[in-house]
Amino acid sequence: MKMSQNTPDKEDQSSTNKKNISLPISRVRLIMKSSPDVSSINQDALFLTTKATELFVQHLAVASFNNGPGKATNSLSYTDLANTAEEMETFHFLTGELGCRLYRPAGTVMFSASSSLRWCVLL
Amino acid sequence: MDGDSSTTDASQLGISGEFVASGQYVFQSQDDDGEENLNDHDDGGIKENFREQDIYLPIANVARIMKNAVPQTGKIAKDAKECVQECVSEFISFITSEASERCHQEKRKTINGEDILFAMSTLGFDMYVEPLKLYLQKFREAMKGEKGIPGVPGGDGLGDELTEDNFTNPLPAGIITADGQQQNVMVYTTSYQQVQPHTTRPDDTFLGGNLLQCPPKRLRLCCRSPPCSRSSFHDKALPLNTWPDDL
Repeated sequence: MKMSQNTPDKEDQSSTNKKNISLPISRVRLIMKSSPDVSSINQDALFLTTKATELFVQHLAVASFNNGPGKATNSLSYTDLANTAEEMETFHFLTGELGCRLYRPAGTVMFSASSSLRWCVLL
Repeated sequence: MDGDSSTTDASQLGISGEFVASGQYVFQSQDDDGEENLNDHDDGGIKENFREQDIYLPIANVARIMKNAVPQTGKIAKDAKECVQECVSEFISFITSEASERCHQEKRKTINGEDILFAMSTLGFDMYVEPLKLYLQKFREAMKGEKGIPGVPGGDGLGDELTEDNFTNPLPAGIITADGQQQNVMVYTTSYQQVQPHTTRPDDTFLGGNLLQCPPKRLRLCCRSPPCSRSSFHDKALPLNTWPDDL
């Protein structure tokens, strides 16, 4: 069985390095299209989102690493991430995502709905 | 600019798994073969078969970016990697829905780069905007370099005329189309009277010549499995519109 997709791999890698991407664009597009009411996505938008995602991963990793006790232990754990999401406003949208696994102090409830972009904290 | 996202390879739709190669810029959804396939799905209507929260970027790529970001000797817990993987999908959806909303407000159908950048500033990621503009510039230059002379279409791979002589030779893969994306397609013909290039699926195993032995009635089956050897149908003119339904 011939798989033509494999042959230009080397070309892809060298050209991809020029474009500075280390995440699969096709997968990013899939995720974008899973949002409601998204009909089509411009090439630039796709690239920007992919690149922004890389920046986001770096940003989140570094912020969490520096923020939590992990800095002392030189490791990054789940709780570091969860704490960072709660403490930094930029990452508040993640609290719903992270929340289901995080033990909450009594009396605090958080949720977020990503598609409606609303979140609230009830005390 | 956004084409049909249907994929022809089942393994491309795997959810997680080890994906170590750099991102490929391809027209059809394509990922490394090493991915695992966690969900059942059809070839068409991919979107409908996955719940939004199930689509993640490959954890190997995400983990690699994280690793490069923290100090060299730092360790990253496995659940932290998985967590970031999910957060990333959340982030993409977050940005996309904001950009999409703006798009609709302005009565446009295609989300463009400006929408994405605007969404980021609105949502508190304005620190990304300037670096992203620079990256976009580099990206455009890289794309232009691939196309050759700017403004010249990169070639319309699927529109090439094929003759009988091409029958035995598949067209080369990696055809670059006008919008700069690389299409990895194998183009086969299934008729020697008139040719219609089409994108094939990886399990099409017949290559030229063999087709002549396929009876017209069973043409569809022969497209998918090793060709049958019914030479009695050899000389019959094949009907032209005998493509499998799902192509």
